[in-house]
This record gives sequence, C-alpha cells and structure tokens, in this order.
Amino acid sequence: MRLNPLIDAAVLGPMRSSPGRIGLAVLAIALGVALGLAVHLINRSAADEISAAARSLYGLADLSVQGGSEGLDERFYPLIARTQGVQAVSPIVEVQARYADRRGAIDLIGADPFRVNRFQPALASLANVAAEGPGVLERDVVYVSAAAARELGLQRGDALRIQIGLDVAAFKVGGVLPAAAFRERAGVIDIADAQQRFGKLGKLSRVDVRIEPGAGVERVRERLRALLPASASVATPGGAADDALRLSRAYRSNLTALALVALFTGGFFVYSTQALFVLRRRREFAVLHALGVTRAQQLGSVLAGSVLMGALGALLGCAIGVAAARFGLARLGGDLGAGYFSASASAFEVRAAELVVFAALGVAAAITGAVRPALEAARIPTANALKAGDVASAQARAHPVFILVTALLAGAALLAPPIADLPLPGYAAIALLLIATVAATPVMVRIIATRALRVFTPAHSVARLTRPSGAEETKRSSWLRRSRRSPAQFLILEIALAQIAGAARYATLSVAAIIVSFSLMTSMAIMVTSFRDSLDAWIQKLLPADIYVRVGYVGQSAYLEPETADSLRRLPGVARAEYSRFAQAQIPGESRPITVIARTLDEQGAGETLWIVHEARNSPPASATPIWINEAAADLYRWGSGEVRRISIGGREIDTFVRGVWRDYEHQNGALVMGRDAYVGSTGDRAVNTVWLWAQDDAPLDRLRAEIRDLLPTDAQYDLRTPQELRRSSLAVFDRTFAVTYLLEVIAVLIGLFGIAAGMSAQVLARRGEFGALRHLGFTRAQVGAMLAVEGATLGALGVLVGLAAGALVSLILIYVVNRQSFHWSMDLSAPGMLLTLLSAGLVAMSALIAVLAGRRAMSGDVVAAVKEDW
Amino acid sequence: MLYVDQICKSFPAGAGAQPGPRRPVLSGVTLRLEPGEYVAVMGESGSGKSTLLNLIAGLDTPDAGRIEIDGQDISALDDAARTRLRRSKLGFVFQAFHLLPYLSVERNIALPLALNGVAESDAQRRTEELLQAVGLVERRRAAPRELSGGEMQRVAVARALAHRPKLVLADEPTGNLDAEAAAEVLALLRAQLKRDRAAGVLVTHSVLAASTADRVLRLTRTGLQEATAFA
Repeated sequence: MRLNPLIDAAVLGPMRSSPGRIGLAVLAIALGVALGLAVHLINRSAADEISAAARSLYGLADLSVQGGSEGLDERFYPLIARTQGVQAVSPIVEVQARYADRRGAIDLIGADPFRVNRFQPALASLANVAAEGPGVLERDVVYVSAAAARELGLQRGDALRIQIGLDVAAFKVGGVLPAAAFRERAGVIDIADAQQRFGKLGKLSRVDVRIEPGAGVERVRERLRALLPASASVATPGGAADDALRLSRAYRSNLTALALVALFTGGFFVYSTQALFVLRRRREFAVLHALGVTRAQQLGSVLAGSVLMGALGALLGCAIGVAAARFGLARLGGDLGAGYFSASASAFEVRAAELVVFAALGVAAAITGAVRPALEAARIPTANALKAGDVASAQARAHPVFILVTALLAGAALLAPPIADLPLPGYAAIALLLIATVAATPVMVRIIATRALRVFTPAHSVARLTRPSGAEETKRSSWLRRSRRSPAQFLILEIALAQIAGAARYATLSVAAIIVSFSLMTSMAIMVTSFRDSLDAWIQKLLPADIYVRVGYVGQSAYLEPETADSLRRLPGVARAEYSRFAQAQIPGESRPITVIARTLDEQGAGETLWIVHEARNSPPASATPIWINEAAADLYRWGSGEVRRISIGGREIDTFVRGVWRDYEHQNGALVMGRDAYVGSTGDRAVNTVWLWAQDDAPLDRLRAEIRDLLPTDAQYDLRTPQELRRSSLAVFDRTFAVTYLLEVIAVLIGLFGIAAGMSAQVLARRGEFGALRHLGFTRAQVGAMLAVEGATLGALGVLVGLAAGALVSLILIYVVNRQSFHWSMDLSAPGMLLTLLSAGLVAMSALIAVLAGRRAMSGDVVAAVKEDW
Repeated sequence: MLYVDQICKSFPAGAGAQPGPRRPVLSGVTLRLEPGEYVAVMGESGSGKSTLLNLIAGLDTPDAGRIEIDGQDISALDDAARTRLRRSKLGFVFQAFHLLPYLSVERNIALPLALNGVAESDAQRRTEELLQAVGLVERRRAAPRELSGGEMQRVAVARALAHRPKLVLADEPTGNLDAEAAAEVLALLRAQLKRDRAAGVLVTHSVLAASTADRVLRLTRTGLQEATAFA
C-alpha cells in the first residue's frame, strides 16, 4: 500500500525509527486510561450495588415517611393511610441487629406480611405463610435474604442468634427469601415481634407509601408533610439511595481523581515525546516545508501521530482497565479495601459508553499533550532550521504572563466553594498549579544548572574570581582547590551541567512527567502523614482511659444495662469509670439524623478528651443544653460555636447551645457530644454503649480484663480493648485504606521515569555527533557513561527539587481545601522527612541508572560513526 | 612519528556482519610521517579515506598490517589504551566542527587539557595562548552558536592543538566554509602544526586545501601514492 509521504514521514516514520519511545508513550497513556477506567468501574459497580440495595428496601413504594432518629409514633399510621392520594401503605420497623456469635450486624425488617407483599411482590410467600397461621408471622421466626443466607451459611430451620442488650435472642430461620426481595444482608420478622423485641413499642421506623395513579407524587408529599411532626420527613426511594451513596462519594471521587493523575502524567509524557520529536526532526520539517508541505499539514501530521498514539494507548488501557477492575473487585471489594461497602457484594458490568468515554479521555490527553509541539512544528523557521548547527530551539523560554495567569487562576479556584459537594475547584487549582510549575521549569532548570556549574566546576569559579567578587566565591574556589578530584572528573560534571543549562528546554521535556508525578507523590505523602499523625494524636487524646468496653453502636440492638455498667465500675482495681451512649437526634428540616454521643462529661473539662478546634466565646442561655459538634456537623449544617439550635431527641425537642467544635475522624456525616445527664433527662434512655475504665495505679490490667470477662455473659459480643489496641487497629484500617493510593502514586511515578528514559534516549540520538567527538577526543566509554549518569542524576535531582516544592504547595491544597471539603475534617501539617529523603534519593539514583541505560547507544561503537558522516 | 605499514581493511559486502564475501577497502597502504610533517590525502568518494583515518585514530582495527604512533603499535592496544593514546597524542578537526554546543569557546578549547589532567592554571595559560593564536580572545565567553562557521572551525583547530598532540587528523576542515574562511583556517592549521612540530594528516577533496600541505598523497585501490609536492 502506498502511503501519503507526509504521513509516512511525520506519523509512521517516528514509530518505525523510535519504537521504544513511542511504545513508552502509548504505555503511559494506556496506564492512565487503565487506572482511571478500573477505579471508575469498581466505584460504579459498588455505587450501583449500594443504590440498588437501598432501592430494594422500598420495593414499589413511591414515597417513604421516615420516622427520624426516634421513630414515628404509630398513631400517625392511619392518618397517613387515609391521606388523599395514598393508595397503599406498609409500616416498617427497622433494626440494626448485632450478631451474638460473630462481629457485625444484620438489617432486621419488621413488616406486616399482608401489606409488605403489595410493595415487594417477591415477599408474597410471607403473606401465604401468615394466612395459614394466626395472621401474623410466627414469633421469633426470621426470613433471611438470599445474601444473608449465603454469607451466614443459613438455611431453613437454622437459628440466627441476635444480641439485644447483652442478652441473646435466637430467631429460627423460617425460609430464605427470593433474591429479588432484598439485595443485601437482611431478615424479615413480624412487625409486632420487632417492636416488642427491640424496645420500639408504639414506634415505626418508616411507612412506605404507594400513591394512586395521577395523584402526583409532590402533591401527596406536601399533604403528608403537613400531617407529620418536624422530626419526620418524606423521602423518595431514589433520595434514600442517594443518601446511601453520599456516605462514600467523597472517597470515591478522590480515588477517581487520583487515578486520573496517571492520565494527566501520561498527557505530559506525550507532550515530552512529541516535543522532543519535533525538536529532533526540526530539519526534516523544514525540508518538508521547503518542498511544499503547508503549515497546516505539518500541524495535522503531528496531531495525527498523537491521535494514533492516544488511540493505541486507549485501546490497550481499556483492556487492562477492565481486567484490573474485575481483579480489584474480586480481591479487594467495591471500596478497594477502605471498609465503606462491606455489606455489598458488588456485581461487575462494563458499559460501552464508559469504554468510549475513557478511550476518548486517553486520546484527548494525547492530543492535549501534542498541541504545543504540533504548533511549534508548524512554526519552525525553515531557512534557519536548514542551516548546520541549528540549536536555538533547545533554548529555555520564559512565559511569565502564562505562568502568572495560571497561578492566579489556581489561587482563584481555591477561593471557590465546592461544586455538588465535591472539591472540584480544589482539583482544578492543583492541575493549574502543576501546569504553571512545568511552564516555569525551563527557567528554573537553567538558573539552577548555571548556579551549580559555577559552584561545582573549577573553571567557572576561577573565571569568576578574575572579576571583583565577594567572599562567597573565594570560599567556593578554595573548596574546589582543596578537592582531590581530577580535572577530568570536573570536566564530566561541567559538560553535563552545561548541557542541561544550555538545553534547559530539552531537560524540562525530560523531567516534566517526573515533576508532575513526584509532586503528586510528595503531596500525597505529606497529606497522608499529616492525616495519620493527626489521627494518631486524636486517638490518644480521645482515649484517656486504661480499658474500654464497647457493646453496640448507633441504632444497634446491643447495649449495656446501666446496672451492668455500674457493676463494671465497681470491679476491684477500677479507680473510676465513665459511660457513653450512641444515639441519634433529628435537626428540623434535615432529612438525615445526626449521631449523638452522650458522655459522662465535665463541661469545663471537655477539652481534655475532645480535640476542640473552636470554642464559643459567648455565655450559654440557661435553658439550652450545652453540646459540642464535630467539624462535619459544623460544615454540613452550617452550625457554629455559640449558636443556639433546636434538635429533636428522644421524642422531645430541646434547645442546644454549641459550646465548641471538635475534631472528629470517625463520624463523617456529623456528630454531637452532650452530657450523659442531659441526654438521660431528655430521653429517659439510660443504656450504655461504652464504659471507660481507669485502673487503680497498682491494678494489673490483665487481671482487670479477666474480671470484666467473668462479669459479662460468655455468649455476648463486646469489644474489650486497651487504648493501645484501639490505636493499632485504627491505624491498621487507615493504612489499608490508603494502600491503593500508594499503588496509584507508584504507577504515576513510573510513568514519570519513562519520561526521563524517553528524554535521554532522544537526546543521545540528537547528540550523537557530540558523543562521537568526545570519543575521538579521548573520552572513555566509562566517562561517557559517567557523564550520562551525572546528567540523569541532575535531571532527577531537578525533578525532585521542583517536585518537592510543587508537592508541598499541592499538599496544602489537599489538606486545607480538598480534604476539608470532601470529608469535613481538619488536620495538622506534618511532613515525612525521612520518607521524602529516601524517595528523593531513590528517584535521583533511578534517574541516573535510567539515563545510562537509555543512553547506552552513546557508549557503543556506533556513536563513533556519527562523525564519520563527514569522512 | 606515524608509521602505517601495509595495512589492509575489508568490510562485509552485504548488510550486517554475517560471514560471507567481503569488500576490500584498503590494500597494502603504507605511510610514514615525521614530526612536523603535514600531508594531504586526496581520493575519490569511497576510496577509503575515512577508513584510513579511523584506523590511524585507533577507532577501528586493520585486518592486516600495523600502525605505530610515536613508536607505539596501536594494533596491540586494547580499547582503553587506544582511548588514552588518542586523548594524549592525537588531535582532531572535523568538517562539522563538533564543538560542544553548551560550552563556551574557551571551555571547548580547554576540554582536551582537562581531559589530560592538566592543572587549571596551566590550562588557562595554554587556552589564552591559543585564543590569541586563533584570534578569538574577544569571543572567549561566546557559545558556539554565536560564532560564524570560520570562527567555529578556528576554535576546533585550537581544541585539536590544545594539548600539544603529536599527530592531528583533519577531515575536510574547510568543507563547510567559504573560500576566505577556508584559507584562514588552513593557514592557521599549518602554522600551528609547524609551531608545535606536530604531524598532520589532512583529508580533503579540495586541491586548494591540499596545496597547503607539505606533500599530497592520493588514495587508490593500490594504496597511497605521491601526487605532487608543495613546500
């Protein structure tokens, strides 16, 4: 097949002549696409599963009346049923039931079998069972979902043991529900049984509603709202599914953003490859132009080459991405080990549109990276480029206006609020900052290399001494004079540094990708260390006692009776004890309840066990209950210290006064701390979830643990831990959560190292004549290798230096903007000095090694032939 | 100073280095040069001029025969020893100059001195001397790209002579220069060779350039033959 000569020269020619470099560019794009697609597919699969699971709870319901934190008084039930436009209703009592014989909990749904089957046709069998008996489901009988049966290994006739308080209740498995009924771990019991068993007499968790055709969802919703107390809300099943997704959205979006960093780096890699290609083939482009190829054709040919690279990379990336997603989902789960979606078994499905989008992103990254080189190819001054020794294009050019505007835009983005609750302006600021950094790099490279040349090479120092100069230069020169290194060794350093300073643009092209990836690695390392150190300090602050006994959590069936908690307090060796209880309160106008931590608390000494970040300056009104809200609550509900707000708790509405805002890494959706006495006074609930025990000075903790075990029922599930154990397990969870991010960073840095390899090999080709001349002048192969190593190490060091500086700035954005907007938690800045030093040293060494490997052609006999072209 | 004794060299006739028929390039070439003697080698394209220079420079090895430089048989040396010999006793002038683009004029000239371990102060003195000799004192700090072709080749000549080599190999040093600049460079090269009593081999197609040498040799299939003499 005869090809257009232009396409052959500008598109296919480079692919044939530099398959290694082009292959690396294709691989860089492929890795970026693969990572982005894999993380997206995993996230989307998990999100679909969560959404479907949440949606499946509501069956065919159009609306759901949510009872709020304390549940809905069942007297509202007939009112709801009689509301105009309501066709059918189904009352539900929902409980998080703790397993008695293993960790974890199951959703127990108390339902009326004759009503729920109108919403969940798959539950029709329950109505048949009830119709054959006394009209209700048998007491202590549970029908488990297919997912629960599979996970717990249950079948008809088995017992499901549930912990209620510290007691154990055994439910007989009456059957396994069809898979269409509920997608997640759940069990259905009779509604009256649920109310009685779990202390919810007269209360309903929600009432599912189907409306009459043509009644209008919004109209019925308004009628219901008018009917209900402020603590209740009317949600759509879709809204409930969104709420379930929202819990993990920030984590998922951050992970996707991190995965796309690899694509971003891949784009820079294409930029480097194409720019080096254009620089190296300057004369070819000039010849083509002289022969009549138009500027537009030249521009198009370079872009066409990039489209081809991008398309190949995108195809490969899609294949790798789908395989990686399938593997990740199977091995790590839908949350990649972070612990968000433990209840969901994610299904895997790939949609054509997703493949198209990510493939397009890959091609777009390749095109974006190639735009500037393509424009330069089209602007090459033909006459100059046809002259021998034309090297002007390798000169560094400053773009002060572009850099300034980009930096200003980055600053402006930081001031913008989050978009759709996501820190998108923060991400934009990071991208702009990195672009500005890369744009400023040629000038920085030239300045640093020129300075280094003056400091480290005797000739330049001596030359400077001939001019009037300060003591500093005299000192430098005397240092150099004392050095035992031979002039030849300095010569290697001098040539390498002069090459980098003189060809700063080449150097920048080689290090652009490594700057981007290393700055992101640095920023992540600083952010993760800051987070980990802050978490560690937070745990230690929050856990002042010697032993913690924890039974159950928010909304769960397990708890300690106050008498049992008192018995723990009276154990020999216990100096003192405090109690806490997890509950929920409703903020009027908000659909979600807020977590309440009711603690034995000395109001004045709250700061001793809470990390207070802001305190109220004004005095509390006498009638208001003092509370301390976490940072998430402050952000989500726009609540501040010193404010008085009304909340609904235990069926009562009380005024609260925000005494302070505290740092909290546990409750991402808002939590408040209040005194136990105030809580008990408002709710009458005296149950306890956690007992904090301080041991007497001489009391051995092991004995105290043994006594606690003796006191509590042997078949009850509880956590008995020291602060050290809690700290260890918390940090282990933290490390597991961030394990995937480390992997993503390493891949991004690998792509960056490709950049140095490609840059060096391209330069060695371009400088063959120079290397040939050096070999003629008496440079040994080892000296040429040493020179390349010095160049590689210097480029690596420049990449590291610029990357560290940019990474430090990006880390500030991550810590103070992205994390704050995503997860609503603050942290103290903490840099991992040793880790960054080791990473920097490793990267410099890798760069030196890669430069020698990539440039081994410069040491081969072939290079001598470069000057033979003249002979 | 240089003794080339009956050297032969052939290359594979086809592509690659597979065994098979070989194409002879040099057959029984003999050449002797005394210190300070300057010869020009002329010949048609493909006559083996570049091969001869490669062999003399120790960048390639002959199939037969021997080459002595300053009494040392380079055929018996390994690559590292040949590199050291080239570094200390040979100088090169290329058609395309091959100056290091990011070193200044004076650092390009000083390059062989540093490579040979000459002390910085001595190197500076020698560089200064050569800068004056080639008339580029004012341009010492300039980068090669700021020079004209003639100036670049003058720097290349200074670099070739900086470490006082015993033998200078010049390949078409005026191939990229106009007539005036070429004449300047050739005169400079001859003068410097004579002053340092270095032997010189000039490969050229130009009769005018060859006329600046002491002797002119023509390279043919049968070896090197005396063409005519200019003195």
